[in-house]
Amino acid sequence: MSQSSAIPKKGDHVQEHFVNSNQQFEAAKLGMWIFLVTEILFFGGLFVAYIVYRSWYPELYILASDHLDVWLGAINTTVLIGSSLTVALAIRCAQTNYTRGIIINLCVTIALACVFMVIKYFEYSEKFELGILPGAHYTYEGIAHEKANIFYSIYYMMTGLHGVHVIVGIGLMVWLVIRANKGHFSSEYYTPVEITGLYWHLVDIIWIFLFPLFYLID
Amino acid sequence: MATADTNTPRRLQVQRFRPDDNPKKHYLNEETGLWSWLTTVDHKKIGLMYLGSITLFFLVGGIMALLLRTELLSPAESFVAADTYNQIFTLHGAIMVFFFLVPSVPAALGNFILPLQLGCKDVAFPRLNLLSYYIYVIGAIFTLIAIFTGGVDTGWTFYTPYSSTAAGGNVMMMTFGVFILGFSSILTGLNFIVTIHRMRSPGLGWNRLPLFLWALYATSVIQVLATPVLAITLLLLTMERLLGIGIFDPNIGGDPVLFQHFFWFYSHPAVYIMIVPGFGIVSEIISTFSRKHIFGYWAIALSSLAIAFIGFLVWGHHMFVAGQSSLSNLVFSFLTFLVGIPTGIKIFNWLATLHKGSIDLKTPMLYILAFIFLFTIGGFTGIMVAALSVDIHLHDTYYVVAHFHYVMMGGMVMAFIGGLHYWWPKITGKLYSEVWGRIACTLLFIGFNLTFLPQFIMGSLGMPRRYFNYLEQFQTYHQLSTMGAYTMAIAFVIIAIYLVHSIFKGKNATANPWGSRALEWQVNTLPPLHNFHHTPVIINGPYDYHKPMAEFQLGIAETHNGHGSGEHMEDATSRSAPADS
Amino acid sequence: MSGHHISSVKFLWGIALSLVVLTVVTVLAAWMHFPEPWNVVVKLAIATVKAFIVASFFMNLWWDSKFNVLLLAISIVFFFIMVGITLLDTLYRTDPIPLF
Repeated sequence: MSQSSAIPKKGDHVQEHFVNSNQQFEAAKLGMWIFLVTEILFFGGLFVAYIVYRSWYPELYILASDHLDVWLGAINTTVLIGSSLTVALAIRCAQTNYTRGIIINLCVTIALACVFMVIKYFEYSEKFELGILPGAHYTYEGIAHEKANIFYSIYYMMTGLHGVHVIVGIGLMVWLVIRANKGHFSSEYYTPVEITGLYWHLVDIIWIFLFPLFYLID
Repeated sequence: MATADTNTPRRLQVQRFRPDDNPKKHYLNEETGLWSWLTTVDHKKIGLMYLGSITLFFLVGGIMALLLRTELLSPAESFVAADTYNQIFTLHGAIMVFFFLVPSVPAALGNFILPLQLGCKDVAFPRLNLLSYYIYVIGAIFTLIAIFTGGVDTGWTFYTPYSSTAAGGNVMMMTFGVFILGFSSILTGLNFIVTIHRMRSPGLGWNRLPLFLWALYATSVIQVLATPVLAITLLLLTMERLLGIGIFDPNIGGDPVLFQHFFWFYSHPAVYIMIVPGFGIVSEIISTFSRKHIFGYWAIALSSLAIAFIGFLVWGHHMFVAGQSSLSNLVFSFLTFLVGIPTGIKIFNWLATLHKGSIDLKTPMLYILAFIFLFTIGGFTGIMVAALSVDIHLHDTYYVVAHFHYVMMGGMVMAFIGGLHYWWPKITGKLYSEVWGRIACTLLFIGFNLTFLPQFIMGSLGMPRRYFNYLEQFQTYHQLSTMGAYTMAIAFVIIAIYLVHSIFKGKNATANPWGSRALEWQVNTLPPLHNFHHTPVIINGPYDYHKPMAEFQLGIAETHNGHGSGEHMEDATSRSAPADS
Repeated sequence: MSGHHISSVKFLWGIALSLVVLTVVTVLAAWMHFPEPWNVVVKLAIATVKAFIVASFFMNLWWDSKFNVLLLAISIVFFFIMVGITLLDTLYRTDPIPLF
């Protein structure tokens, strides 16, 4: 690609302060990776709380984890892996100039994300009915440990915050579908798809850790 | 940088681009009107908006301080009730830390100067930059609402279980305001890191990066790594209040010390966010006003990164008496001693820069000399309270208060004001009155020491901090301290008056009144909207005073954005221009 | 745009399949009841492998600028700093070092 001093011809998307399309793309990717670093530290705080309380009350975690449905957790994990796949396929479609493919793959991703949220809804409502509510509202008697409310508080904080991130991801992908429909993306310019994909993969990675830590305690 | 498909060096035709002392069009008149300011993506205008906001908050925080000090003139209640006193010191702390110090240099001066020093047209994400500003404003609004609908009296540190259960007022609103503000800090840091990595001018390798940018880079790294932990801490605190989550409240099985771990994991690196940009300013000003290459460039550059890293390891020194294990106490005390080393390295390097330099005692330089003196005192006393055995006695006394005011105010605020004066001609195109500048600096220095030196003494004699009442024996110290506070207030008012006056009636500045070699001075007096009409080409470091000025004003001779291959670029001849210094 | 790696469809499906397989392995490992603390180690190790696969092949770090990899590594290092030093307090509240 010519790197002479000409103003980029086909690159309307190149913003004024960037030299060329590639600098802009790499800058956007770097920016998103830095944002992901902040997300890792953000969730990291919650993981610290989890680890500290697990080191203090290991029996609590074993007892309380029995009430979490492994199958629903595993299905959710698979659903999210699938959604990561479809988002990667969407990016590939953008790289190969296949706009319909972007839209289809993103829609499947959104659908899978919604399946995830629906399963979470069922999980949560089942718990609420038993009286397993966060914090001071906890009333369930079935776990023989006085600190059971703390396990579930951490559970709700972590999975809840994760769920919020899933919803934000759904919103972002809906926006991408709208833009793809308008023909904004091509092999020349698909930066928003790429960086939203990065965000979504991190949401997946966080769940990959949440699943064994909450659902698979012996 | 640009796509480097080629590894072979390319020759670039460069020419000299002299800065214009009297530009007709510049960033302030190229787009006009209130709407253009509110929707601007120009980093310079965004920097100015931040500058206005932080000045406003400094005023509010300062008034809080004066209220506190006035109340403390006499031991018993004078005109402020005890609960109100608690609210006032909480506000003073929260406003000064979150709304003034953290954004001051990075967001205000940094936003303005960073792209100019890099030679690029704007930061990497200008719209995100504007969003950062609006997030700051929204956070500020929530905090102001919190103040007016009940106030907060927990101290700026929001310790549990008081803040999560009993504290009245609007803890949630204020923590929410600070939570939002955190995103402003994160996004600014993100923007700066990407800009410094990806948008340097041809020839501007890491070894030629001005130390101000090294400092902003280190600060941005801290902002990006530490602020999310503050965010989660405040979120957990809010959930604790709302839902009674119970991880911090001992009544329902939680651990209040855990809150302190979470809180200080951010807040200790936060103090480095506050001071490291100041270090960058000191490096710039010391070199310019000694007309000498900075001594130990790499030592200063890398020590900023070292401070950034070690600063993350020491947070527990705020918790020596909180009830953490003695093993942690030992470890934190030891690590805290380590963090003083890179800072000490900087101070020695600055002093060595002064040695045999051609020192020009202009106002910015006076502030920086004050900085070195006052920050050294602050830093030393920090090491003193880092000693575990000493801190047992000094924790929560006025000694700690004096320590952090010496580093934050004697250090950071001095550096900030020095930087403001240094870059004032570039920002406004005007020169302020040098006489009044020196008078105000002297008054500020005297007032500052009068305020805080007595606090060291009373702290070591046992006067506790955050106390509304005190024993008779401390009254003289308190009174001296209050006199100092009012002296400082007068100095700040004087500064404000002559700075504002200079905007309207000041002498016009040239493009480079200090004769600096740094890139931001090689641009017109009031920079153009897009900073550079040419692509600057860097062939020297920013402190090479032995090289003629012409070599710092080179740019690619073709128009538009032709970037070369960076480090391998060879210097083509510039047009014959008379050499000047 | 030059230098952007484009993975084939088969490759991406392969990666997704490997992740599902590893998920099954994780669940099986839970049923196998390893002795403490190995059960945690095994599950976290599998999760780490899965995260590595997602980061390298879905997030393209395998072919991307090394700096982005460094960023990810740094964030993990700082996470471990946060955990490790906090645990120095929370695990040692009952003093191994006797005071006074």
